Amino acid sequence: MKRLITPACLTVLCLLVLAEVGARVFFAEDISGRFDYGYNPQAGFAEHADGTVELFRAGGRRFYPQTFQRQRPPGVLRIMTVGDSVPRGPSLKGAYPGLLGQELRRRDIPAESINLAVPGYGARRCQIVLRQALQYNPSLIILHFDDYNKWEDEREWRRSQEFKGWHPRHWLMKLFIFRRLYEAKMEKVFWPLVPEEVRLRYAVNDADAQVAAGADPKEVAARIKLAYDTAVENVALVRQRQIPIILVTQCRLEEDAQHRLYLTDHGLDQLGESLKGPGVFHVSMKKVLSGQDIKSIFTNFSGHLHQAGHQVLANAICEKIKAERAALGQTGPNVAVAGTSPAPQTLTPEADPVPGKP
Amino acid sequence: MSFVSWQYFIFLPAVLILYWLLPARRRLLLLLAGSYFFYACWDVRFLALVLATTVIDYNCGLAIAGRENRPWQVLGLSLLPGAWVLGCYVLLPQAGITASLLSISLGVGLAFFGAHELIRRLVKDQRAKYYLVLSVVFCLAILGFFKYCNFFVDSFKSLLQGVGFTSDWSLLKIILPVGISFYTFQSLGYVIDIYREHSPPCADFLTFATFDAFFPQMVSGPIERGKNLIPQLEQGASFRDSHIQDGLRLMLVGFFKKIFVADNCAILANYAFDPQTSLNGYWAVLGVVAFAFQIYSDFSGYTDIARGSAKLLGIDLMENFRFPYFSRTPSEFWGRWHISLSTWFRDYLYIPLGGNRGARWETLRNLAIVMVLAGLWHGANWVFVLWGAYHGALLILYRVLPAFNRLQTKDGPWAWRDLLAVPLMLLFTFVGWAIFRSPSISHLGLWFGALGNWNPAATLSWQSSALWLAIHVAPLLLLQILTCKYRDEASLAHVPWAARGLIYTLMILLIVSSGEQDKEFIYFQF
Repeated sequence: MKRLITPACLTVLCLLVLAEVGARVFFAEDISGRFDYGYNPQAGFAEHADGTVELFRAGGRRFYPQTFQRQRPPGVLRIMTVGDSVPRGPSLKGAYPGLLGQELRRRDIPAESINLAVPGYGARRCQIVLRQALQYNPSLIILHFDDYNKWEDEREWRRSQEFKGWHPRHWLMKLFIFRRLYEAKMEKVFWPLVPEEVRLRYAVNDADAQVAAGADPKEVAARIKLAYDTAVENVALVRQRQIPIILVTQCRLEEDAQHRLYLTDHGLDQLGESLKGPGVFHVSMKKVLSGQDIKSIFTNFSGHLHQAGHQVLANAICEKIKAERAALGQTGPNVAVAGTSPAPQTLTPEADPVPGKP
Repeated sequence: MSFVSWQYFIFLPAVLILYWLLPARRRLLLLLAGSYFFYACWDVRFLALVLATTVIDYNCGLAIAGRENRPWQVLGLSLLPGAWVLGCYVLLPQAGITASLLSISLGVGLAFFGAHELIRRLVKDQRAKYYLVLSVVFCLAILGFFKYCNFFVDSFKSLLQGVGFTSDWSLLKIILPVGISFYTFQSLGYVIDIYREHSPPCADFLTFATFDAFFPQMVSGPIERGKNLIPQLEQGASFRDSHIQDGLRLMLVGFFKKIFVADNCAILANYAFDPQTSLNGYWAVLGVVAFAFQIYSDFSGYTDIARGSAKLLGIDLMENFRFPYFSRTPSEFWGRWHISLSTWFRDYLYIPLGGNRGARWETLRNLAIVMVLAGLWHGANWVFVLWGAYHGALLILYRVLPAFNRLQTKDGPWAWRDLLAVPLMLLFTFVGWAIFRSPSISHLGLWFGALGNWNPAATLSWQSSALWLAIHVAPLLLLQILTCKYRDEASLAHVPWAARGLIYTLMILLIVSSGEQDKEFIYFQF
C-alpha cells in the first residue's frame, strides 16, 4: 500500500498543493471574495488606519488602483463613477471620469473623480458597487447606464452560487488555481482565437450564449427592462441619500448593410430622459458624440471609446455640471451654497445626510 | 453515465472500495450490479436488450458445447428481459414503457425459448451449428432492428421512388441504445469462439452476465474476447499497488485526450462539417484535421479511461489503439486503429470468408466485403458504408499497385521510406475522415468542392483557429513522441519520476483548463 504514493505522484501533489497554498498566501487579498464574482458587498475597498481608502483588484472587481480619504475633504467635489468597461476606459487618466476631474480642476473647481467602473458589470452588480460608493460621501454619482452586461451578471451570479453550493460537480473548481486557469484560458485563449461565428453556432459555453442572446429581440427587450428597473432602483438609492446623480446613457457604434456607420442607443436615451427629475440629470452619449468623427473615437463596433471620445464625453459632463449648477448647487470653488438651492441637490459636503457614515 | 461526468467520479471510487473489501465471490455480484446501474443511468429500458443478449448467448454457448441448460432454466432466463421491462412498467411509469413494448419483450423471450427447445428436440446432427445460427440470428435481429431498421426502410423507399413508385411509409421512432454494437459483437464473438472450440463456455450465469455488461468497456469497447476477460472475472484479482498506479495513469491520459484534445478540436470540426457553413479550402482542411484528432483522442481517450478503470479493479482489457497516425500502410493502420474491432472482423468474418488463402481476387473481394461491413457497423448512414468501401479500396490499392506495395514494411525500425509512407497514409486517412464526418454524401461533395476554393475572403479567417487547433494537438503529439517507442500509448514508466510528476501535473492543469461541461464520446452513437 505504501507504494501507492510514488515519487511521481508525490511530485504532482506537492506541485498542486504548493501552487494552491502559494496563491492563497501570497495573493490572499486578491483571492478574498474572488469567487463571489462581483457579488461580494465588500470586496475591492480597503480602509486603512490612516483614514484612507484603497481600491484594488479583488472579488471579481478589477478596479483601477486608487486611494482617497474616507472623509471627503471640505469643499471638494467628490465624483464617483459606477459602470462597466466603457467608463473604465483605456486607463485611469484616459477615461472620462479621470478626464472630468482634470477638466473641473482646470476650471478651478476642486474635484476628485473616482473611477469605480468594472469591465463586464451590468446593472445588478453596479448596484452593489454603488452601495459601497455611497459609504464614502460622494458629492455626485455618475451612473453609466448600459444594458449589455445582463448576461454576464447572470452568469457570474450563477457561478457564485455554484461555488457556494455543495454539488460535487463543482468540487474540482473550488481550487483557486484550477478555477483561475479555466477562466484565464477561456478569456485569453478561447475568445481571442476561436471566431465568434464558430462559438456562436454551438454556444460552446455561456459566453457564447450571451452573444447569441444579443441577437434575440426578446432577450434584448428583457435586458433593457432589467437595466431600466435596476437603474430606477439605483437612482432611488442615491436620491434617498439626497445625492445628485448623472445618468450617462450608453450608445454603440454599429454598421448597416451598406457599411454605413451609425450610433444606436437601444432606447436607453428615452429611459434616461424618463428618469430625469430633481437631482437626477441625464447625459446621452449618442447626442454628445453624434457630431464627432465617430469612426475615430470608437475603438470598434461597440461602446468602447478612444481617449479622444472620453475627452468629448468628459467635456460634455463638465458642461452639464456647469449648466445645471444651480440645480446641482455648485457654483464655484470652495463655495458652500446651502440655502441657495434645495439641500437635496447640493454637491457640497454639508449636504451629506450622515457625514462619514454609510 | 459518462466517464467524464461528475457521477462517475463518485460511482467509480464507491465500486472500487466495495470491490476490494468484498470477498472474491461477492465481487462479481457487485460488478454486475454496478454495471447494470452504470448502463441504466442512460436509459433504464434498454437494459432489457443487454439482458436479452446475455441470456441468448449464455444459453447458446452452453448448448453449443453440449451442456444445455434444463428447459425450465432456459425458460426462466428467457423471461428475464421481459421481467425487467415489466418491472420498469410497474415501478417506473416515467420510463415510458408501453404495453406493446412489454408484450414484444416477453414475446421475444418466449420465441427464443421455443426455438431453443425446438433445436434441442428436433435436431439430431450438427446441433451446435443450429445453436450458433440461433444466437447469431437473434443477436443480429436485435442489433438490426434498433440500429438499421430505419436506414434500410428509408433506403428502400428512396430506391422505390427512384424507379417511379411512391410510398407513404413513415419511419419508426427508434432510439439507438447506447453501445449496442459493442456488446452485441462481444457476445457474438464469445459464442463463435465456443463453436470453434477456441474457448470453453462459461457455466456461471453471473460471470457471463458480468462479462457481457462489464461497465468500463460495455458501451464503447474494447470489444473483449471471452477467453481474455472471463477467466479474469472467474479467478478474481488480488490487490496490487500496480493496479492502482497503472489504472490512474491510464485514466489521466484518457481524460487528457478526451477533455483537452478531443473536446477542443470538436469546436472546429463541428463548424467545418456543419451544412450551414460555407467552406473554403482552408476551413475544409482545418475541419478534417481537427476531426482526425478529435475522433482519435475521443475514442482512444475513452479506451484509456476504460482500461484504467478496469485496471483499478485488477482486470486487464486489451489495447485498442497503438499510434495509428504513425502507420505506413492501410493494413498497418487497421492493426493500430480500433484493434479490438479490426481483429474481430478479421477473426469472425475475414478468415471465415477465406481470408488470403484463396486466389488473389478472392482475397481482394474478402477485403472489400469486410471493410464495407466494418463501415456499416459504425452507423446506419451511407457515408459510413462509403468510408468502409474507401478503406477497402485503399487496402486493395496497396496490395495491387507495386509502387504502394513497396511502402509496405513489416513492423520494425523506421526506414527512410517511412518519411514518405507515413505522411501519405496520413493524407489518405484524413480523406477517409472527411467521408466519415460528412453528414451526408451530398455534403461530402461540398467538402471536396471547397478544396478547389482557396479564396480566404470567402469565409471566416482560419489562422487563429489553426492556432487554437495547434495549441491542443501539440501536447498530444509531444506525449506520443515520448511514448512511441513503447507499445502502450499511455506508457510513461520509462520517464524519470520527476519528469513524470511534472507531465502528470501539466496534464491535470490542461484538463481543468478545458471546462466543466460533460460532453459525450463520439463512439457512443455506434
